[in-house]
Amino acid sequence: MAVIEVKNLSKIFTIKEKKQGFKGSIQSIFHPKYRKVKSVKKVNFSVDKGEIVAFIGPNGAGKSTTIKMMTGILFPTEGDINILGLDPKKHRKKLTYEIGTVFGQKEQLWTHLTPYDNFKFFGAIYDIPNFVVEKKIKEFEEIFELKDFINTPVRNLSLGQRIRCEIVASLIHEPKVLFLDEPTIGLDPVVKENVRSLIKRMNKEYKTTIFLTSHDVSDIEKLCKRVIIINSGQVVLDDSMENLKYYYLNKKIVEAKMKEKVSLEDEEGITILKDKEYNIKIEVDTEKRTVADALKLLNPDNIIDINISNIPLEDIISSIYKKEDQS
Amino acid sequence: MRKYLFIYKSEIMSNLQYIGNILFGFIFYFLLLFVFFHLWDYIYSDPEELIHGYNMSQTIWHVIITEILWSSVGGNKLCQKIINDVRGGNIAYNLNKPYDYIGYSLSSHLGIATIKLILYIILGFTLGFVFLKDVPIHTLFHLLIVLFSCILAIVISCLLIIMIGLFSFIIEDSTPFYWLYSKAILILGTLFPIEFFPSVMQPILTSSPVYAVASGPAKLFVDFSWNGCVEVLFIQLFYVGICYILCKLVYQKGVKKLNVNGG
Repeated sequence: MAVIEVKNLSKIFTIKEKKQGFKGSIQSIFHPKYRKVKSVKKVNFSVDKGEIVAFIGPNGAGKSTTIKMMTGILFPTEGDINILGLDPKKHRKKLTYEIGTVFGQKEQLWTHLTPYDNFKFFGAIYDIPNFVVEKKIKEFEEIFELKDFINTPVRNLSLGQRIRCEIVASLIHEPKVLFLDEPTIGLDPVVKENVRSLIKRMNKEYKTTIFLTSHDVSDIEKLCKRVIIINSGQVVLDDSMENLKYYYLNKKIVEAKMKEKVSLEDEEGITILKDKEYNIKIEVDTEKRTVADALKLLNPDNIIDINISNIPLEDIISSIYKKEDQS
Repeated sequence: MRKYLFIYKSEIMSNLQYIGNILFGFIFYFLLLFVFFHLWDYIYSDPEELIHGYNMSQTIWHVIITEILWSSVGGNKLCQKIINDVRGGNIAYNLNKPYDYIGYSLSSHLGIATIKLILYIILGFTLGFVFLKDVPIHTLFHLLIVLFSCILAIVISCLLIIMIGLFSFIIEDSTPFYWLYSKAILILGTLFPIEFFPSVMQPILTSSPVYAVASGPAKLFVDFSWNGCVEVLFIQLFYVGICYILCKLVYQKGVKKLNVNGG
């Protein structure tokens, strides 16, 4: 059952433009010029209950604008959004009780209060009875391992601890859909992993639908089963992670250590990425050549050690971005 | 209502850690009263002499009360916060919370104002006793009514400043409007009772927000009368309503034009 439905969603921003220099500044006072920028163009998708969906794209692709329209922060220029049967434009206040949001780059916690006081605050603004809030805090304290710092003012917490508290604050009213906009930004790998496992656990235990944006490919790879890629305001790919890897992983990386130096040159389906003394790294386009072809070129008797790997997901995603930019 | 009380309470809890900053503002308050005490002491040849119906003690208590009100509001901080929220797009992040932005800003700022009000009342009354050796109000009931009027004055002042801050939706930076507002309150409402102004100006000032946020409660304090009390409270309640409605209108109009870039 779809809990999020987005149809023909578009957003046009009106941006003021100014000519260069002092003269331009004066002119813009008397003759201001405006330019219309279509940030989101007829976007369509739907998300089912309990899904974890990655919504990704390069900077300026329109992903944050889309999330802001879905959460009622921005008004769409055209199109329809339906979140749990509610239109964010018309039922913004009602929707706030059903959804949670974490914007990694924006703090929602009161920095001079402790996490405990913050959770009590969020409980009150969502009209949750006091005894329910206390119960929820106890529950989250255990799941998110907050015990050591729940009574420390937020300003004294590390970034990782703060993000954990931000997530808890957005969960205190048990939202059915959680929007996470770059939740792991600025975190070290260990804390990132911790946050990811908490997000997974939350999805499993509370069946929360999670709509995630991130520039960190590991977030997407480890959390999401489905990915929606947006570029220049349009959805360019909406598929499962499995299919993404299957269709786009048509390139293999072959790294070999040789007994004797070989001199190879680029040819159809084979690109030399690195050739330094006895080490060689080549990329094989498996739609044009097989890995066996590449091995023959290297001469198997001449190989001391070999490693054949898929190209990283990060490279696949960047190639999709680039392909769309060129088209 | 519970959520706004919680916002108010949270703001008090949050600001209790910064009482030192508030105490710093006492220096300016003390200097101002010191200057005014000596100024009026010089002007009044006899402390019991009446100028426009006010003796020296009443005139100085008027300044003490209006300055307590102005210092408690701390309008510059509130105005800058609203302007920054509007210009920086922070206001958008309040939209996905189940509260009203005006109510949030008001209850949040009233939290800071409450701490300041208590501290400035203690300081103002101490200085008043030291300089003047008497208080013009003599019953606790009258004092409680004046306190209620002072609270309404702070609420109206906050709403007016929120509205000025929200003008940033239209003119990008509404700081000059705040400057005009603060100077109008200082000259027309804080330093002198309304009766000191030309008679043609008095009815205009009495029906203006200046009376509701400064002169009105101060007049009640220095010369309490039931007629004056009804008049001041009526004007204040009227301004609470009208200012809230105007804030809502400016906000609703502005928020539709909101641009939040980046992410």
